[in-house]
Amino acid sequence: MAAGGGAGNKTYSFKVVLLGEGCVGKTSLVLRYCENKFNDKHITTLQASFLTKKLNITGKRVNLAIWDTAGQERFHALGPIYYRDSNGAILVYDITDEDSFQKVKNWVKELRKMLGNEICLCIVGNKVDLEKERHVSVEEAEGYAESVGAKHYHTSAKLNKGIEELFLDLCKRMMETAQAEERAKGNGASQSTTSRRGVQIVDDDPQAATAAGGCCSSA
Amino acid sequence: MSQRKERRGIHVDQSELHCNKGCGYYGNAAWQGLCSKCWREEYQRARQKQIQEDWALAEKLQREEEVAYASIQGAQSQPLSQPQAPPQASLAPFSKFEEKKTNEKTRKVTTVKKFFSPSSRTAPKKENQEGKTPSPSISRQSSIETDRVSRDFVDFLKTLHKPGREVHKQSRAFIEIMANKKDLSADELSECVQDFYQNLSDRLMTHFKGSSERVERVMDEVEKYIMTRLYKSVFCPETTDDEEKDLATQNRIRALHWVDIQMLCVPVDEEIPEVSDNVVKAITDVIEMDSKRVPRDKLACITRCSKHIFSAIKITKSEPASADDFLPTLIYIVLKANPPRLQSNIQYITRFCNPSRLMTGEDGYYFTNLCCAVAFIEKLDAQSLNLDPEDFERYMSGQTSPRRPEADGGWPQVDPPTGSAASSPALTQVYQNLDLLSGMGSRQDRVLEGVQSLQRDLITWQESVEREVQEILEKYPLEIRLPAPSAIDSDNVENDRLPPPLTPQVFAG
Repeated sequence: MAAGGGAGNKTYSFKVVLLGEGCVGKTSLVLRYCENKFNDKHITTLQASFLTKKLNITGKRVNLAIWDTAGQERFHALGPIYYRDSNGAILVYDITDEDSFQKVKNWVKELRKMLGNEICLCIVGNKVDLEKERHVSVEEAEGYAESVGAKHYHTSAKLNKGIEELFLDLCKRMMETAQAEERAKGNGASQSTTSRRGVQIVDDDPQAATAAGGCCSSA
Repeated sequence: MSQRKERRGIHVDQSELHCNKGCGYYGNAAWQGLCSKCWREEYQRARQKQIQEDWALAEKLQREEEVAYASIQGAQSQPLSQPQAPPQASLAPFSKFEEKKTNEKTRKVTTVKKFFSPSSRTAPKKENQEGKTPSPSISRQSSIETDRVSRDFVDFLKTLHKPGREVHKQSRAFIEIMANKKDLSADELSECVQDFYQNLSDRLMTHFKGSSERVERVMDEVEKYIMTRLYKSVFCPETTDDEEKDLATQNRIRALHWVDIQMLCVPVDEEIPEVSDNVVKAITDVIEMDSKRVPRDKLACITRCSKHIFSAIKITKSEPASADDFLPTLIYIVLKANPPRLQSNIQYITRFCNPSRLMTGEDGYYFTNLCCAVAFIEKLDAQSLNLDPEDFERYMSGQTSPRRPEADGGWPQVDPPTGSAASSPALTQVYQNLDLLSGMGSRQDRVLEGVQSLQRDLITWQESVEREVQEILEKYPLEIRLPAPSAIDSDNVENDRLPPPLTPQVFAG
């Protein structure tokens, strides 16, 4: 309603969180996508924890904000603070590391519990250039992704494989979700209040949720 | 005098216990010697008076601003025949608010009740605040700042022409409405402000035909104006426990003073001067946050702090910082800085910042990280620092410090390598200097010892020489014998036996 000038020139803004264990290559993935560089000494950005990308998908402008999260186990409980209000989540694991895939499963469970089905999930098996050392089977990973309503991708930040597709796909899905939401809202009367509520209510909750999560995880 | 004292100790005059107003009920010292009923009346009256004063002040300010604005607008705007009217007129578009206000009346009652419940510690504090408000210096100081912001706001809106005037009216009206809502809980206040942002930006969207950048710019100014005005009443309001949380966090950070870079795995090498420069700047920025009034300015402080952290990491690791590096460093910075009123500031920003900025932008990301850092610090335990639980307990209780585990070692003997590895360069320097000093001390001791032994040696040598001389003197006493008469043959014992002709002749002489 705010756009006024028709749906054609509406700009979408999406927040995407990157989740995954410490050394699965989250940062490399996003640096490859936004800067097209890998382990490069000439990377000019000061940081790789918050990156933005502007896209134009089927004539619609999309602003993508990619939030990296700290992957260390001791920060696991802080997850809810990061992923609140995100439209999409990219869950990265290392195909040579079975544990990192288990972590992804935990994240999926948590995200579905906290955010329901409104969030678009992507499960990403990174480092396919190390196919020989694969420890997570393709069937298992893809089967699992399907069972939780997520899409599965294979990528390699080193070889720049599958990354563009991953983000493009995710953007399209998030746009669909946003459009569906808009349609649903269009039927209801109080759209602006609900959207704002959604923004506001989370202010205090996540911390409480974190505290609770902390208790459970530290036990 | 002593008699009176005694009487007071044992027997209290009934009249002293009664309400000062003389209504016959017992009074309470906490209520300035009034009974609960009289105190409540008194208190309400004072409040009412203050509200009226606020109103008067607000009206006065508004009139001034209207005049200023009208003079700027020049001839085309009508002469100010309706400066009194705006409160009424501008309320019209805010019928929604009025509705809300009535809705909230029910809630308001509960807040007021809570306010007077005896266990609530807010009552005496409110009293304090009332005592403070009339203080001219405070109010004048704040009014200078708010006046400046008001002027800037008018100057900015001038560039917008007609919509600017409307924005001005609405903002003024909103501040007046908020002035009457001081009793609301923090969440309700936040909702009012957020509703206002939402309504205003929606209206601006239609004005500017969907140019979101312009809307954003106007909204930034509106936020600045409104929040500077409302800051005093909505920052760390007494209806919340923000202040308690502030203190708890502050104490917690103090208790964690011993946490060092290694424990948090911070990828920053403070030995590099440039890095430690950035660390210091980051600490300054996060402390500076408390001094800002506008949520956006506070966010800007956090962003600047974060940028310094990124620089520090980039210099140390020579690659862009990921979240894996950033969060531990931010935690470290927060621990080192112990920023004042941290929780209040976070709450204030979440409640009153323009939500679009907080949720998606870069500022929002850094703010989220700060929230994470605080959450982490609050429930940090031995496990999260990779420490033995027993060690953790001992460090927390201050029994030992991780930097010198051997408590009996004594400070001057600290091994420089371990000392420097575990601490900041300044501490390393201190340890080195201490080492140097203790080394010099022991050398001086040795010199002193040498001097003393030399002195002792000298004394004993003198004594021994004397003794020897004495001994020799004793052994060979000096006898002065008179020279015997010279007789050439006196030594010859057998002279007597010599035959007479050979008997030597003795001559006297």
